[in-house]
Order: sequence, then structure tokens, then C-alpha cells
Amino acid sequence: MITEYHRPDKLEDALDLLARTNPLTVPLGGGTVLNQPSDQQVAVVDLQALGLNLIEPRGRTLSIGATVTLQALLDASKTPLVLKAAIRHEATYNIRQVATVAGALMAADGRSPFAAAILALAPELTLQPGDEKVSYGELLPLRAEQMPGRLITYVAIPLDVKLAYQYVARSPADLPIVCAAVAKWPSGRTRVVLGGYGESPLLAMDGPNPQGADIAARDAYREAGDQWASAEYRSDVAAKLTRRCIDEFEN
Amino acid sequence: MNIELLVNGIEHQVEAAPGNTLFKVLRSLGYYGVKFGAEDGETGADTVLLDGKPINADFYLAAQAEGHKIATIEALGEHPQQGWKQTQGLHPLQQAFVVTGAIQCGYCTPGQILASIELLERNPNPSDAEVRDALSGVLCRCTGYKKPVQAVLRAAAVMRGEDVEPIDGSARPIPAPPGWIPPEGDTGGPADGFDAGFATQTQVMPQIKVTPKTEELQRVGKPEPKVDAIKLVQGKPAFAADLEMRGLLHAKVLHSPHAHALIKSIDASKARTLPGVAAVLTHEDIPRVAYSTAGQSDPIPGPLDCFSLDNKVRFVGDRVAFVAADTPEIAEQALKLIEVEYELLEPILDVRQSMQEGAPVIHDQPDYVHFADSDPSRNLAAEIRIDIGDLDKGFAEADHIFEAEYVVPKVQQAHIEPHVVVTYWDEDDRLVIRTSTQVPFHVRRMIAPILGLPVKRIRVIKPRIGGGFGGKQEMLIEDVAAHLTIATKRPVICEYTREEEFIASRSRHPMRIRMKTGIKSDGTITANEMYALSDTGANGAHALTVTGNTGHKSMALYVGDGEYRESPNIRFYADIVYTNNPPCGAYRGYGVPQGYWPLERHMEKITQELALDPLEFRLKNALRAGELHPFSTAWSEGREPRPETISTCGLEECVQQGKAAIGWDQKHGNEQWRNSLRSTQHAIRNTQHATRTPYSVLRRGIGVALVMQGTAIPYLDMGAASIKLNDDGSFNLLIGATDLGTGSDTVLAQMAAEVLGVLVNDIIVYSSDTDFTPFDVGAYASSTTYISGAAVVDAAEKVAERIKIRAARMLNERLNVETFERSNVKLIDGKAVGVGGEFVTLGDVALNALHHEDQEQIMAVGSYVSPVAPPPFAAQFAEVTVDTETGQVVVDKLVMAVDSGVIVNPITASGQIEGGMAQALGYAVCEEMVYDEKGQAREKDFRDYHIFMAHEMPELETIFVETFEPSHPFGVKAVAEIPLDGVAPAVGNAVLDAVGVNIDANPVTPEKVWRALKDK
Repeated sequence: MITEYHRPDKLEDALDLLARTNPLTVPLGGGTVLNQPSDQQVAVVDLQALGLNLIEPRGRTLSIGATVTLQALLDASKTPLVLKAAIRHEATYNIRQVATVAGALMAADGRSPFAAAILALAPELTLQPGDEKVSYGELLPLRAEQMPGRLITYVAIPLDVKLAYQYVARSPADLPIVCAAVAKWPSGRTRVVLGGYGESPLLAMDGPNPQGADIAARDAYREAGDQWASAEYRSDVAAKLTRRCIDEFEN
Repeated sequence: MNIELLVNGIEHQVEAAPGNTLFKVLRSLGYYGVKFGAEDGETGADTVLLDGKPINADFYLAAQAEGHKIATIEALGEHPQQGWKQTQGLHPLQQAFVVTGAIQCGYCTPGQILASIELLERNPNPSDAEVRDALSGVLCRCTGYKKPVQAVLRAAAVMRGEDVEPIDGSARPIPAPPGWIPPEGDTGGPADGFDAGFATQTQVMPQIKVTPKTEELQRVGKPEPKVDAIKLVQGKPAFAADLEMRGLLHAKVLHSPHAHALIKSIDASKARTLPGVAAVLTHEDIPRVAYSTAGQSDPIPGPLDCFSLDNKVRFVGDRVAFVAADTPEIAEQALKLIEVEYELLEPILDVRQSMQEGAPVIHDQPDYVHFADSDPSRNLAAEIRIDIGDLDKGFAEADHIFEAEYVVPKVQQAHIEPHVVVTYWDEDDRLVIRTSTQVPFHVRRMIAPILGLPVKRIRVIKPRIGGGFGGKQEMLIEDVAAHLTIATKRPVICEYTREEEFIASRSRHPMRIRMKTGIKSDGTITANEMYALSDTGANGAHALTVTGNTGHKSMALYVGDGEYRESPNIRFYADIVYTNNPPCGAYRGYGVPQGYWPLERHMEKITQELALDPLEFRLKNALRAGELHPFSTAWSEGREPRPETISTCGLEECVQQGKAAIGWDQKHGNEQWRNSLRSTQHAIRNTQHATRTPYSVLRRGIGVALVMQGTAIPYLDMGAASIKLNDDGSFNLLIGATDLGTGSDTVLAQMAAEVLGVLVNDIIVYSSDTDFTPFDVGAYASSTTYISGAAVVDAAEKVAERIKIRAARMLNERLNVETFERSNVKLIDGKAVGVGGEFVTLGDVALNALHHEDQEQIMAVGSYVSPVAPPPFAAQFAEVTVDTETGQVVVDKLVMAVDSGVIVNPITASGQIEGGMAQALGYAVCEEMVYDEKGQAREKDFRDYHIFMAHEMPELETIFVETFEPSHPFGVKAVAEIPLDGVAPAVGNAVLDAVGVNIDANPVTPEKVWRALKDK
């Protein structure tokens, strides 16, 4: 239950509010998750007036403000095409109007196509206070512990990286049962991220080249069984989807 | 906190809690066009525009919206005729939604229109795919999205200044020439004559092969706009929750966390003292009355095994207590203060364990009321044993015996408007129940003993219904609100949340079905046997009748050929057993889709094994006109069966039309076609959502299923109507039939208008109110157009008779002759016309009757019950693409050629077919309800329970093959349910065609296909 609502227009004010532990105070992006009925009493800090909604190319990276909506990112000319496809798969048109990039990344579970695709790109997050730069991959498993009192202000993704995304679902717009996002740097560095299972997307490989990516994917999902699919299925299909992603680069 | 909201250009100062959603605040301000669909905004019924962008008000905070411009549907156009006041009329989008038939229940319509407005403002000339993306955030369970997309494209053309072709009475479908066959591979474009000279074509008319008997009709057979379209397109407060009442309390239900438990003690004292709580009711507070929730005629053909509240819970989600409070939030808080001590009992969650020796008994209460063979000591809710002919002889004469087991899942109706009811005492101390129900008259009769009220002190009002699909053929929560109104004397609203819809409403019965079929080498079926083990869940509502129809409608289709056609050998046995899963109930198709998955998958296997042509084999053995419905002498929904002959059957023509439309002869079994995937729709959609799948791993396939359904329940379903002439020659048509979005109000008005010789908008339709409208069993069993329609015609003919008598007298007096008689006066175009063209208007007749001479109220009541239930027939085709590495199946195209008799309204009827195919598509590939080992549901929202969205739909094509059913004045048969029957098996058969594997349990999920391919 939301007990307080704040809409600061200065970052410092927002951080002061977020530093409170009583009441528990959390940042509010679009509210797609936070605003749903809950027993937990929270105060929310609406970020919409902080000016964190800019998308700016900076050299070989794209800086994305925390409150950029998924639709705005989808509409941006510099956004990688495959990331756009993952955004479309992530949410419907209505939801994309309000869901924010940072909110989507923090609320993501393993079935989030957007989080999987972004994670493959090894994004760097800027956290306040302290202007700290952290990798999304490191933050993701620890977000519950590390984020209270803190705020993501920017997400930076590389622009010189090839990205591929493949998924399997019951219908074209259903959430993935298995998905693979693979990013390949000009240096050959290759990151493989799997999704469709668990509490968050899983980094299956971060290597100097694509070699062994499909095997890494197969191993990473060897225990990934739940009510939606068996581990045997996910493991096999993860390898195949990863292979397809790699093939896309080569073709 | 104080919030300033700018809504439709009007500033509002609102005092709201920080967590109040924009939805809640807008509704409190009277903007009823924004609808509740789900707490997470997944339905989009809650769509509003925020600074011009569509967002979901269900989860967006009112506080977040401060400083932004909010627009709701109320900001758009209005009714074009408002007396002396000039108005702009409807917005072009609203107008397009009206004329294209894009509106069915209308609950999601405001959301679809608002999303479309935003699209057209940024893109005046969108593509089909762009429209679908814009609509992706608004779920529609009724339409299949085809007509809403066409509406947006049409509106875009109008807004660009283009002319668009009319869709009105002049646009009657072209009668098919003899031997008419659509072009091979036809893509479902408009019928001939609809595309000339217009840059933008509106493709909403189905192809129809018209029966010659209807060519003279003026109103029947025309694509008339729905009579309720103008109010729905404006988002008017037409639904059950759309009202304000002083002192309204909000009801909430405490649901069981356990699948099977006794309530040892329950203490509500803390909840009762919570400020704002008006009442808390437990099983200790209200009378214990056994009843069934099934909305069916008296006597209900099933056990009485429900109680409003009981000291035992039988599924996760079962009722434990009711609370009424000033706000929903207080009511929720009170639920948490109710202390319940449970004694856990062993649950039965696998249907195969229910009747095993030593299994826990789910209904051990002494006041259980039996029906027929119910035996709660064995967890048996109902039993069916039907033998037709001599099965053993049939099997003995067979050259081949095929046996297999199939599984069909539990699935949800998923109407976008949840169950919702408002109850209050009126000034005469009569209890008024305003409820979203398909069965208002049954609700009144059934709820009376539960409340201790006589029927005459209850009035049930059915406003518009935001979808039902059988889920509202159930008295599900009316008693909750009513008990609380009795307890508090105050009005109470009870509205289910989306999670409650999933855990505590009703669903389609899951079944395990065994088939055994005897075949001669020439493909003649000699015997056919089906056994169904049906999971009714914790209660037996609809247990007997749903599962009875599983056999009755599917196993009747294939009688065999030659001597077997004269005397088929068919067995249908079923055990319908209790489990501790949530109860099942009625769901569009009513057991029949469960029958056609095994039957048609089984038939396909037989054709494969014996190398028979799938279509020839089916038609060789299928029921034909002039033959006895084989089940008609054996079973009739728990009542006395009576023989029934099939008068009309267009099945063979359906096969011919359908196979031509989908290109069956070119594709089926064609290895080159299977492997020749290039730029198909599959690839396009796949690209839109993600990235390309290599074509080398994709295989295409095509499949078919033939199906039949029923039209009403013979000798039981009764509908009635009254028609009254008004001063101006218009008519009030009062019907008990309940339009749940199907368009039945409209087609009934068309029939009345046809008989009375007036325009459809001269018929003012009102339904349903138990105080004012005649009785009708309600909207189920595909009965309304047929049964209620015949009642309307009966009433209209009586009224027409009175009009003609008076008109003849008026003409004789006016012309000073004696030549006019009732028999030579016709009602045409609002006039009573004599043989020589002399006429008086119906307005003249009305004034004469009401004011001038020998005054009388020209009015009549008609009613109808049918001795037959003429089946509609259909051929359903599916084209799929299968990923051979992952098992993913994408359905590319669905075609349905259907004989539903005469089509009264081609747009509403094809809307029924398209929406039905979309629902059935979910049954085919993605919808199922799964429970863990404790009976906890996996699916509690639309994120997990995926229903098809606008941007992922395959191409849909509808073809009507008309026959003239002689038992109905206009020759109609049912439309609404049959599209649910054949899509899933057609998809399963298409997968077999594509990759050679059999999937015996639907939905056809990727892992099932992958596993089958692996085991191949």
C-alpha cells in the first residue's frame, strides 16, 4: 500500500527522501509494478520531474535516462534494432508508454526479454548518491539488498556491439519460455544471456569469442526446470537459440 | 492529499489517498468510460490518454497524473441527434467502430478507440500491423481483433478525407452463383462488389453463399449496426458497476488458502470492530441452504452441493467469509483480521484418484442433494452411459481398431469485465440485483431460497455484459452481495478482482478421454467409442450436462457409412468426478470442444494410418440431412430424449468452400509446400516480435476438423418477447434474452423489423429485467437467435395482424371502399400498404389505435420452445508453421466455413466466428490452468494466462454456407459456439501434417512438440 507520494524536482531532494527507512521509501518510475496492490506499506518518490528522460549518444555508447519510457527508447533512432524487438516483446503499447527503462530493469524477472537483451549488452548503470558506475549483471542478483536508498539515474549501452535475440513462446507475443540474447563486440567478445526462467536473466557466457557459446547456454540451463518447462527442454533449446544468434552475426 | 486533475479539459480538485489509482479517481468523478479489467493494467479496458498517450489507469496513480492532460472516451463524440441541440455527432473512429461491427460486448471499446486516436494523430495512414501494435495494449476476448483493426483503418481513411464504401443495407452479400467457389488461396478479402473505387477497403463482410429463400427479405440478412453500439462506443455507464449509490458498501470474500480443510473455528470479532466495516458474515451467521450455481432451468440437472458459506473448504479460493465495508481497502484489511483455524484434509488434485478406493470424500455433508446417478461417497458428481446400436458387433465387423487416450486442459472464459453485482433494497423492500449475468431469470429463481425471500420480492436487472462466454451462466457472487445487503440494509457492490476470476470463478472442464474406433479397410466407421473422465472440481454445477454434450455433439458427427449410417454403433460413457480443484462450469462450446479434440485428432490418425483422404473419409462417415441425430433417442441433458431428424446439413459444401479458401488441394501432404517457407505471415510476425528464425528449420502444415454443435435444448429452452406499438409507429421490443455482446439484441430487432416492415432503429430493444421483460432462459446453448428469435417473430406477427386489421379499416374509411382486408395489406417501409399501393403509415395506425377510434393498445407477447435442436455444421482449417528445433508452433491462418442456417446479420455473425476462433486458438496453443501439488494456481493474471492479442493474431477467414432450417421462421441455426470446436484439433492435425508427430494433449506447446519430435 502506498502511504506517501512525493514528486521532487531536484535529485538531492529525491535522494534525501529515498534515504529514509521509516517509512520505507522507494523510487517510482512508471509504476507498472510498484503501484499494484500490495500489503507492504511504502512511500514513493516519483521521478518524473527529475529530467532523467533523455537519450543521448555519447561516443560509442548510448546514455539512457532512468525515466526514459520503453516506448521512447523504442522510438529513438540510435536504439539497436534487436533491442527494439525485445522491447516490443517485453510490453504492449500501453505499458510501454509508462514503463521506464530503470524500472523495467529493476523489476525484471527471468522472463523479461528487455532485461535479457540489455544484460547481453553489458550495460553500465549510474547510481546515486555517489555517482557510482556498476554493471547491471553485478547488480541484478543483489538488487534487493543494494538498492534501498539508492537511485539509478542513467543506463549506458554500447552502440558498436551486434545484438541478436531469439525466443520460444506459446504464441508470438507470449512471454518467453526460453530466450537467448547474444552480444558480440568488434573485438570478438561475446556475451550470452538466457531468459525465460527464474528470478532474473542469466549470464551464461562472457568470452573473448563466440566459441562454445551454445555449450555454455546448454550448461547454464541444465537445472532450469519449473512448471512452464523442463530443464531438459530449456537446456536444449537455449543452446539452439544461442547458436541461431551466433549464426545471425556470421550471416 | 489534494490533487488537481485536468480531465477532458475540466479541472478537478480531488482529495485522494496517495495510493489511489487514476482509475478509482476517474470513476469517482463519473468518468465511467474507463473500465476495470485487472489490477495490473493488462487488459487495457482502463485505457485513458495522458498527454495524448494511452496508459492504464488501473495502476497509474492519480497523483502521477497531476500536471498532465487526461482524456477519456467521454471527450469524444456524442449521439448525433439530441433534439434541438446541434452536435458534432460521433468521432470518425466511433462511427467506424459502429458500422464495421468492431463492437461486441463493448467493454474494451473505449480503450481501443483511445489507443487508436493516439495512433492516428501520429500516423494518419497506418498499416494493418501498426494498428495492431497500437491495439496491443487492449485485450478483446470477443472480436478476434479483425473488425476493430478494420474500423481503425476505415476511420483513418475518413480522417484523411477519403471516401469509403458504405456498409449498410445496400451492401448485402452477393448471392453466390451456382457452383460458386472462392479463388484458390483467396486471402479473405471483401466479397465481390465491395472494393470498387475506394482506396481503403473495409474488409468486415464474410463470404456468404446465400440461400435463395431469403433474397426478398429487407432486414434479415443485412449488416445492420448493433442497436447498442452508439452507447457503447461513447463509454456510457451501461454496465453493472457503472452507477453511483449513496451508502454503497464494497464486498470482499475471504478465500481459502487450502485445497481441502475443515474450518475448526472462525473468529471475525476483530474484523467487525474495524472502523468502516459494516458486516462480516461467516457460515455461522447465515442459513445453510444447499444449491447449485449452475444457471439452468428448473429442476437443475445436477447435484445441490454448494452453500453460500460452509464449514468446509474444498479448493484453494473457496469461500470462507464475506465482508462489507465503506471502501474496498477497508474490506481487504478486514479480511486479514478474520482468524480461521483449519483442520487440513488430504486433497484430491488428480482426477484419476477421485474414484479410487479410500480416496478422501469431498462432499460428505448430509444435506447433499443428489441428481440422477450422483454418488458423493465415490466423489461421483454424475455418470453417463449411452449405448447406441451394438458396439461389440461394430468392433467385430471392423478390419482395424484404433485406440488412444487424449487430454484436454482446464481453461478460463476470461471475459474482460469480471463478475460484478450490485444489490439493494428498493422502496418497496424488494431486493434488486443488478448483475452481469447471462441468466437473470434463473438467478431470481435460484437465489430466492438461499436468501429466504420469495421470488416475487426479488428483481434482477441485467445491464450490458462485458463478455460472459458461459462464465456468467453461473450464479457466482450474487448471493455474496445479497447476503450483505440483507445484513446491513445498505447497497452492496461485489466485483471480482482478476486474481479472483482465476482462483474462484469457473472454467472449462478438463478431461482425460479414451477413444476406440472400428474401421473397415474402405474407411467405413463400424463402431466408435468414447470414455471421458471429467474433472468437475469441487462442485458439480454443469457436471452432467457439459460432459453429456462432449459426447452428444461430437460422437454424433460420424455415424459410419452404408448400413452403419442406418444403424450406427456408438458408445459414450463418462464419469464426472469431484476433485479439490476449482469448480468447472459452462464455457462457450459447453463440453463440445473437449469432445472434438480427441475425436478429430483420432480421425486424423486413422486417415494417416490407412492412407485415406482426410476430407473424403470424414464426409463418407458424417451425418447427413434427413438422418436421425443418433443421440436424440438416447440423451437430452438429463431429461427425456425424443427422436430428432436433421433437416439441414451444409457440411459437404462447407468442406468445399473451406478447402478452396485455404488451398487444401495444393498444400496438404505437399512436401515442397511444407519446406518452401519464404516471406509468409509467420516470418513477418516473427520478425516484428524478435528476430528471424532460419527458414531451414521451419515446416508448414495444414489441418482440418469437421464439427457440429446444437441450437438450444429441445423441449426445454423457452424464450419470450413482447412488442408494443408506440404513437409514432415505433415499437418497444422487450425480451428476456440476454445479449452478452453477441449482438442478439440486434438480430432480434432485425427479425421484428422484418415482420413489422420498419427500420431496425424503429425497434427499441430492452433486455433484461425480471420485472418488465418476459421470461427467457438466458444466453446459453446457442439458443437466442433461434429460440428467442422465434418468440420475437411470434409476437411481431401478432402485432402485425392487429395493425393490418386496423389499417384495412382505415383505408376502407379513407377511400370509402370495402376492398381492403387484413390479408391484402402488407407492412413495408413503415407503412401498411394495400394491393394498389394505397397506404397508411404505422404512425397513422398508432394514433388511430391509441387516440382516435375504437382505442386499443396494439401489443402482443410471443413465446417459443422448440421440439428440435438443429445442429450447425462447419469445416475448420488451420495452417501452421512449426520450428523443428524448438517445437514452437505459429498458427498462420484459420478458415472456417460454417452452415449456421440463414445469417441474420453477416457482420455480427462473422464477428462471432472470428472471436470464437481467437478463443479457440488459445485453447489450441497457449491457454491452460495449472496447479501445484497443494492446489495453488499457476495462472492468476493475464501475464501468465496468455490470451491472444491484436498484434499476434493469424489471418482469419469466415465463410457462411447458408441453409434454410425449416423449424425457424427465418431459417436460422446457431452461430456462437461452434467456432470453439474445431480450431484446436485442426491445429493439432496441421502439426501432424507439418512434422509428422501426434500431440494428444492440448494446448500444443513447444515442449510437447519438441519432445514428440525427439521421440519420433
